[in-house]
Amino acid sequence: MADRTATVSRLEEVVATSDEFDRVVAQALPVLLDRAAGYTKRFLRETGQWNDDIEHEKFALRWGSEYLERFLVCGRTEVPCRPLFLFDSLVAKQHSKPEPFCYHPDLLKPLGRFLDGLVARAVVSRDALIALYHHSYGWGAGDVITVTGLNGLESQRIYKNFRRWRESGWQRTMDEMGLTKTELTELEDQRQRHRQRFNSEAERLIRVAQGHYRKSEPDHYPCLSRSQWGEMFSQGYGCDYRIWHLALCVDCMQAAWGLGSGGSSAGEKPRLELQVRP
Amino acid sequence: MGQEEDLEVYRSQRLESMSERPNYSARGLVDPIQVYVNERRVGELKGAETEATLSVHGVDHIETVQLRTEDGQLLGGLVAPESGFRTNRVQLLADTVELCVQNTMQGGSLSAVFIPAPSFWSRTRTILVDFADRWMVRRPEAAVAYGMRTVAFTQALLAVAVVGLVADRVMIWITPEHAVAPTVQAEALRTASIAEIEQLAKQLGELRSMQTKVGEALQSQEKGMTLLHQTMARLSSTQESVASSVVMVKEEMEKRQEGPEHEADRPTQIPPGRGVVDQEQFEVAIHGLAADNDRLSKQIAGLEEHNRTLTAKLQMALTHVAKAVEQNSERVVAREAEMARKPQLLPVADSRQSTQAQPFLFWVTFSEGTSQESIDQWVNGMKGHKGVQNEGWQEVQILPPPVPPDLFLEQIRGEKIIKEARLNH
Repeated sequence: MADRTATVSRLEEVVATSDEFDRVVAQALPVLLDRAAGYTKRFLRETGQWNDDIEHEKFALRWGSEYLERFLVCGRTEVPCRPLFLFDSLVAKQHSKPEPFCYHPDLLKPLGRFLDGLVARAVVSRDALIALYHHSYGWGAGDVITVTGLNGLESQRIYKNFRRWRESGWQRTMDEMGLTKTELTELEDQRQRHRQRFNSEAERLIRVAQGHYRKSEPDHYPCLSRSQWGEMFSQGYGCDYRIWHLALCVDCMQAAWGLGSGGSSAGEKPRLELQVRP
Repeated sequence: MGQEEDLEVYRSQRLESMSERPNYSARGLVDPIQVYVNERRVGELKGAETEATLSVHGVDHIETVQLRTEDGQLLGGLVAPESGFRTNRVQLLADTVELCVQNTMQGGSLSAVFIPAPSFWSRTRTILVDFADRWMVRRPEAAVAYGMRTVAFTQALLAVAVVGLVADRVMIWITPEHAVAPTVQAEALRTASIAEIEQLAKQLGELRSMQTKVGEALQSQEKGMTLLHQTMARLSSTQESVASSVVMVKEEMEKRQEGPEHEADRPTQIPPGRGVVDQEQFEVAIHGLAADNDRLSKQIAGLEEHNRTLTAKLQMALTHVAKAVEQNSERVVAREAEMARKPQLLPVADSRQSTQAQPFLFWVTFSEGTSQESIDQWVNGMKGHKGVQNEGWQEVQILPPPVPPDLFLEQIRGEKIIKEARLNH
């Protein structure tokens, strides 16, 4: 307790250099994590979204660690500063936004956490974004290249994204979401035993998550009609647009279905077939 | 596993992941860096071994900038100011990304520049250029350079001449005539036609001219070497003179430091025939000094008496204060012991004060044409009085100056009417 008080006192003092900032903050990570989690908890309570259960506790910890990660990288450019006050202001700034995080009670359950984690990661990781095609529809790298109508150079990147996701990305995301091996095994069992119900539930939840995280796309990436998608595919522009938006929008994926292959392989529109493993 | 334990494991896992240093090598050498503004992806920096730039302009203010790898790892970033510029250099192993953000009333703009690490050949070239620059800086002086150029030119000329001679000899050896023995050569000359003789004469002439040229080249080379030697001699003499000047300056400085002592010894060194000593003036001076000494002795005695009175009063006052403040008897005793020690220190201060109270004597000569009135005015201004005169030197007595004597004399010398000032005549 005395150590904690001393750490907080040190965080209240001015740090003059980036190195000093790193040193002081590195020694106070547990304090800062608990502080950010506490703020998130209070925000959820005040907005009527809190329940005293482990899911909500994990949710608060997850977002606390998210804020702390940003603080570690960006805070060192703010020197000289008082780290504690800077951290408080950063969290307060996040919580003053209209929807600081994607909250839905069903997204706190294992399936919801799994989907929330995948989509949230896709916003900041291209590996996760490309892997979202696999987890949503069960496609491999070749299928993704065909569906999105990519050229040769971009195709190489897709293979690399898949490889990295399998090697480390998926596990890191699961760790971030706090999904245990038992929970993942249970999800796998549900998928095999109640395939249709599992996928329809997943589609309902993934729409919630995608709707929230699509706001992280650039402003000029809105939903398009099939004809507009068709024009983009035929003229070969908007490569990033196609990759980013179609991964994060089930409706647009169905609208643009078949345009990447020139309509040759356009069969039944894709349905969500959730894959738990990479 | 209980829920509490599960939560604690999750918390530890989160802390552990943040404690780990980012593994930049995961980015590889060719993967683009994702750029996020206000947590929205705005583009990427495709820099492998070449410089890459990304510029973003928008109507919204920029709040945060983040750089991420393709697997989502946060590499760096910055928090933008509400208005104005902010820059940041994000170091990624050997590569660098320079971020520059500007927020204005019209919106925000970002410039991100990926600067790759210099390649092996680039580093080698830089080292060579640096070495060449250093060598150019260390070129010899102009005179030496002139000599070097002369020598180089002469050597080049000599080389041309030698090459010409060698070529000529080779041509002669190649020709069939060269194979002929010398005894046969005379016979051949006799039998040779006039045209052949003329040709030989021409060749000999050419050879003679070449030899002359070589001789000239050798002479010019000798001249160049002589010039070089002269330059070197001049340089060495300049060095010697500089060194001797340094030694002289050092000696002069030492003399100045020892100045007062030498000045004190000077009266004994003055030869008897140098000037006639005015006996009366000396006697007057001695009388004046004796009178001053008596007066000062009385003043010192009075000051010492006054000091003793003050010390006694101070001791009494301190004892009263200590008794009033200190509750603890031990501390009172300690303070009294301290009081007892203080009188031992006071005489030292007293003696210092008494030495400071002695008058300060020095000698001055005045600039030519200075009137007696100006001198009196100056002495009054110094709050002193004149003593004896000797050989144009005027003795002056003043109260001890606040600065050291040497510095005081320097100050005096700076005054307009003063020609010279010394401590002793």
